[in-house]
Amino acid sequence: MTLPQSSPRAEGDQTVDVRMTVNGNPITMALPARVTLSDALRDHLGLTGTHVGCEHGICGMCTVLVDGDAARACLLFAIQLDGADIVTVEGLGRQDDLHPLQESFGRHHGLQCGFCTPGFLMSSYDLLTHQPDVDRADLPAELSGVLCRCTGYRNIVDAVADVAEAHRDGIPAPGNCGHRTMVGRTPAGGSGTGAGTSNVEAEAEAEPGGHPEEITLPSGEPTIRIDVTSELSSSPDEVARVFGDVRLLARCLPGAELTDDLGDNWYRGRARIALGPVRLSFNGIAHILEQSAERIAVDAQGRDTGGGGAQARIVMSAERSAAGTALHAQADVFLTGRIASFGRSLAGDVSRRMFEDFARAVDRAAAGDDPVAGSRPASAVALVGSALAGRARRRWQWIREHITRS
Amino acid sequence: MKAAPFAYVRPGTIEDTVAELGRDGAKVLAGGQSLVPVLAMRLGRPSTLVDINAVPELNELSRENGSIRVGATVRQRQLQRDDKALAVPLLGLALPWIGHREIRSRGTVCGSLAHADPSAELPAVASCLDAIMVLRSARGSREVAAADFFTGAMSTVIEPDELLTEVLFPVARPGEGFGFGEFARRHGDFALAGVVARVRTNGDTPEARITCFGISDHAVTADVSPQLRDALGQVGSAPAEPNLRRALAERADDVAAEVVDTGGDAHASAAYRRQLIRGLLSREVSRAYFKSTASASEASPS
Repeated sequence: MTLPQSSPRAEGDQTVDVRMTVNGNPITMALPARVTLSDALRDHLGLTGTHVGCEHGICGMCTVLVDGDAARACLLFAIQLDGADIVTVEGLGRQDDLHPLQESFGRHHGLQCGFCTPGFLMSSYDLLTHQPDVDRADLPAELSGVLCRCTGYRNIVDAVADVAEAHRDGIPAPGNCGHRTMVGRTPAGGSGTGAGTSNVEAEAEAEPGGHPEEITLPSGEPTIRIDVTSELSSSPDEVARVFGDVRLLARCLPGAELTDDLGDNWYRGRARIALGPVRLSFNGIAHILEQSAERIAVDAQGRDTGGGGAQARIVMSAERSAAGTALHAQADVFLTGRIASFGRSLAGDVSRRMFEDFARAVDRAAAGDDPVAGSRPASAVALVGSALAGRARRRWQWIREHITRS
Repeated sequence: MKAAPFAYVRPGTIEDTVAELGRDGAKVLAGGQSLVPVLAMRLGRPSTLVDINAVPELNELSRENGSIRVGATVRQRQLQRDDKALAVPLLGLALPWIGHREIRSRGTVCGSLAHADPSAELPAVASCLDAIMVLRSARGSREVAAADFFTGAMSTVIEPDELLTEVLFPVARPGEGFGFGEFARRHGDFALAGVVARVRTNGDTPEARITCFGISDHAVTADVSPQLRDALGQVGSAPAEPNLRRALAERADDVAAEVVDTGGDAHASAAYRRQLIRGLLSREVSRAYFKSTASASEASPS
């Protein structure tokens, strides 16, 4: 543990930049002194896996690792943790590769309502890290720092005992730390910490009309990986016309709305998504990395007003096929917060369906029809479309000339 | 359950820290495990929190001149892991009882002493061992013995502008043995009653003292040498442990009546606490006695 740096007096109504590492990501948040770590994680980083129960250190719901030791996030002010290394339950494992503790809690049904589960996971991770030889008989006392109101303690103790037995040499490190999707608040132009940790709204306020240097995608496994090929009846030249007209392309994504052209191939947009009773509203930015008659590559990130975050790299390519054009879409989508709590398969199905709808809309647009007619409600993909919209016309002219020449 | 706004400062030196503490309404923030709940429940609203965690000298843990010196920001868990703490066996016995691991990760030894909860373990340990507290202010530095340090529930002699910079626990000497026991409704709760015991068997006449906590507005120390000697007179100097415990329990009523001066509360009556003290006293003094005789024979093998 390294000591924090000294810090000048900050009045109660003042915000202070707090730098810490959360699940392997360096982040910066501007916070008043009285904001607890648990509130900072939940409200400012969207990491709602850290639950808040009693808020005065009794229940243990908010247990996280601070510099490797379990601690109550409600009993720490975030401002105290300048330079600290925090691991939350989101950092413990991935949906397709759970930490052994998570897997064991599932196998033993060590969760009932699930509210205490993040606290128990982080507390037992700390226990088995520091006392890998812990006796089963000592587990109830050792785990007493977290309360389960369902009183499902037996299954919890069984789950932890199993992992302890299987990992007497120490349990595996958290499996989901590193460069992960996270949307936090950073000061203006916070490209130094990677756009993956910056809040687009905060940036917009701080830097009107500006954009970060790049969107840094997480290096881990995406939450959803999409690979869809749709057959369009339009010809590649017709599709190229849609690829080149970003406003038209964006209209192929219902629910999306372009709000700003930030220049240098950067866009800001909004997207509203309706899936049955589910309503999501995203604000985001996108960066067009590559655009040609047959290929578009985009990095995008957005924040759901309800506290979720999404980042994606989307590559669409068109090639001549027997029927007309094969539109190939590949996307790596990283989700955090409440939207990540959709099941992976549901989110994947919805996203795939949206690409198929998008492809149909592109086909209609390529044929000169209104792309919106008969479309379904928007999905998360729409965010990217919003960014594509409003592409500068001179760019299109360049492409048109290019097509004409070839 | 959110703290009211407060100003915050994190000085880098002891000098800057005590300067900040000179301001009105300033309060030290070390581990925060007692203070933050007070703030969250708005039972206290200090205008400024002076976070002392950036002062390197306050994070020192050392052994010198027969004492373990524990700096103001040394965490309870840090002390538990440090081999230097082995020189003060009572720390090893008492630390696991403080709250939970998650609390000890951040909670500091000095913070617990300065907070002075009447049911807390460390003030009782400090009292039983005659630990020394070192206080600093812009006015200078002073040392206060544990016997003079705790003045009541959550009250100590620390002045508002003073900082408890370190505590000195005396290293155990040969012929000393220790016991620690407490009883709480749930593991990690504050104790209904607890006993810290130290027994010395160097000379012909064994000495024993206990410090009881959870039974008054602060930990209460009592000399139980007469009770131990009397019990040993009955059962012999190398008794079976159950016999010594029984003999001590028979002599514990007066001590228990003397130390317990709480009126009782929803969790336990005064009579129940006296009963707990009687049981804990006999068990822990007995344990401490056997450890002290083992320690004495190790020190002078015949």
